[in-house]
Amino acid sequence: MYHNSSQKKFWTYDKEETLDKLRLEANQKFCSKAISSGKPGINESMFLDGREEKVLFRHYEKRLLDFCAMFKPVMPKSVVGTACMYFRRFYLNNSLMDYHPRTIMLTCTYLSCKVDEFNVSSTQFVGNLQDSPAGQERALEQILEYELLLIQQLNFHLVVHNPYRPLEGFLIDMKTRYPLLENPEMLRKSAEDFLNRAAMTDTGLLFSPSQIALTAILNSATRAGLKIEPYLIECIGLKEDKEILSKMYESMRRITSLMKAYELPRAEEVDPCKQKLERIHAEFASNLKRKHGYEDDDHVVKRQMVAEEEWTDEDLDAL
Amino acid sequence: MDQYSILGRIGEGAHGIVFKAKHIETGETVALKKVALRKLEDGIPNQALREIKALQEIEDNQYVVKLKDVFPHGTGFVLVFEYMLSDLSEVIRNSQRPLTASQVKGYMMMLLKGVAFCHDNSIMHRDLKPANLLISSTGHLKIADFGLARLFSNEGDRLYSHQVATRWYRAPELLYGARKYDEGVDLWAVGCIFGELLNNSPLFPGENDIEQLCCVLRVLGTPNQKVWPEITDLPDYNKITFKENPPIPLEEIVPDTSPQAVDLLKKFLVYPSKQRISASQALLHPYFFTDPLPAHHSELPIPQRGGKHSRQRMQPPHEFTVDRPLHESLVDPSLIQRHAWSCL
Repeated sequence: MYHNSSQKKFWTYDKEETLDKLRLEANQKFCSKAISSGKPGINESMFLDGREEKVLFRHYEKRLLDFCAMFKPVMPKSVVGTACMYFRRFYLNNSLMDYHPRTIMLTCTYLSCKVDEFNVSSTQFVGNLQDSPAGQERALEQILEYELLLIQQLNFHLVVHNPYRPLEGFLIDMKTRYPLLENPEMLRKSAEDFLNRAAMTDTGLLFSPSQIALTAILNSATRAGLKIEPYLIECIGLKEDKEILSKMYESMRRITSLMKAYELPRAEEVDPCKQKLERIHAEFASNLKRKHGYEDDDHVVKRQMVAEEEWTDEDLDAL
Repeated sequence: MDQYSILGRIGEGAHGIVFKAKHIETGETVALKKVALRKLEDGIPNQALREIKALQEIEDNQYVVKLKDVFPHGTGFVLVFEYMLSDLSEVIRNSQRPLTASQVKGYMMMLLKGVAFCHDNSIMHRDLKPANLLISSTGHLKIADFGLARLFSNEGDRLYSHQVATRWYRAPELLYGARKYDEGVDLWAVGCIFGELLNNSPLFPGENDIEQLCCVLRVLGTPNQKVWPEITDLPDYNKITFKENPPIPLEEIVPDTSPQAVDLLKKFLVYPSKQRISASQALLHPYFFTDPLPAHHSELPIPQRGGKHSRQRMQPPHEFTVDRPLHESLVDPSLIQRHAWSCL
């Protein structure tokens, strides 16, 4: 249940500014650590700033979604939603310069498949990368390498409540209790699209899944020129409580404006950021390895690390 | 990890060793379940993920073993559980005399409260058996090992594995290869455990999957579409046919048992999963309200972990001496007055 979930307790924030602040802190933490490393030739201008991180985040998030959309066998929506949420939660407290989003996005997706019981084997999973067998094997090694780090960064909170089920719930509810609307099913398509787009915004970190789902319904109805305010007021029982009703409208308004503000970054924006990112990762690759937490176990034979540069974006581009 | 000092080994689970340890700061004894990730080609095992998932999303319950912490360690991570002295299989195995009717009732009540809580939270355990029901040093029973637990939804479009649950406690629909099932599989297992407590031996001790089905059919009778309409949809229904045979009255299977106990047992051990009594309904069954009443947890046996000797606790939990002046052991009436009022 959402109301006693780890999502509500630990991963739902009060306002957008809080999220921006956390991301900025992660960015600055990386920068100051990098500078204090005392490496020659390091200067501020090398680093990604907050805006650039956002551009790259959106770029890789889109790739995550594209990868999921192409996945065979067809991936359930909740698996995609969970993967997306993991990715978002991970980069709330980490900079993209800390860990390369290319690996993290796949690790998020892989973990989400397991957690959501969408059972694909690891070979089947990387088989979805348009890559040579050797390349797929390297990708798998990296995924497994980062899996533990990921669940640590998620604070071992693995269950994500997606808005897809509440959407089903509202549709069923409208069919049974709101006869004024002849065919609630007609709202489905556009409401689902809405939820897919909502996954690419911070809504999931700010609102409950049912609020997002209800906004999707309302949005879909408005587009179809249908009035469903009576449903909100009568059926959801908010008639008596004007305060809650106005709060809910306010939340819906915020959700809608977050979605309107979304823009997929253009290639000419992405490319320079990418170059910066690759340079930083090349420069600090050795430092990053130490962060995994694997090395402090001395009884473990150290595995040979795969150089990250070996597996590039081109492997994904073929998608 | 340096927060804990290891006291010893408790056992070995499917994914690593379980240690007894002491939390240095609080002095509390805990069980550490180490999940190692080396050489696992699929990474973090599903069982470990399920356990974390199930236990992190539910609030504390007295009858579910508590996951106190999870932390990374070396190539894997460690799950920290409250330490439990023993489990119900040891209690059954080691008790010198059969459990009394009142003790069985006490265990059943705690088991059902735990199961009701899980089901209320949309979690089906899928592997209930005496060895997964841990017994604390205070005699409390707590459900453990959520390695097979799944969050269930009523969407009905997801397929589950039928290779769940230890064979003796596996519901008939699983034995017939069902891929869609519900929390009824737990209720079947509860019935099996109930029977085992009453008889002091397992109800359906099949040696293999086919024989398991035979054991069940021998008692409940060969199922047909009349008693179990959904049976024809089960994947393995046509693969195997059994000789027609009538059910044996459960009274004969669990002899010397009160009629209420048999009546409740009957309500768990029915073929159609949906017809099995739910855990919360079962708790309202007359069985729990007729004499002898369920034993208090302090009246239940607590065997030593791994030890052969059981210790029947006959003495009350509080020590007292006969020489102590009576007035010293009296409770100050003013302390309880407030509560006394609220009882009126």
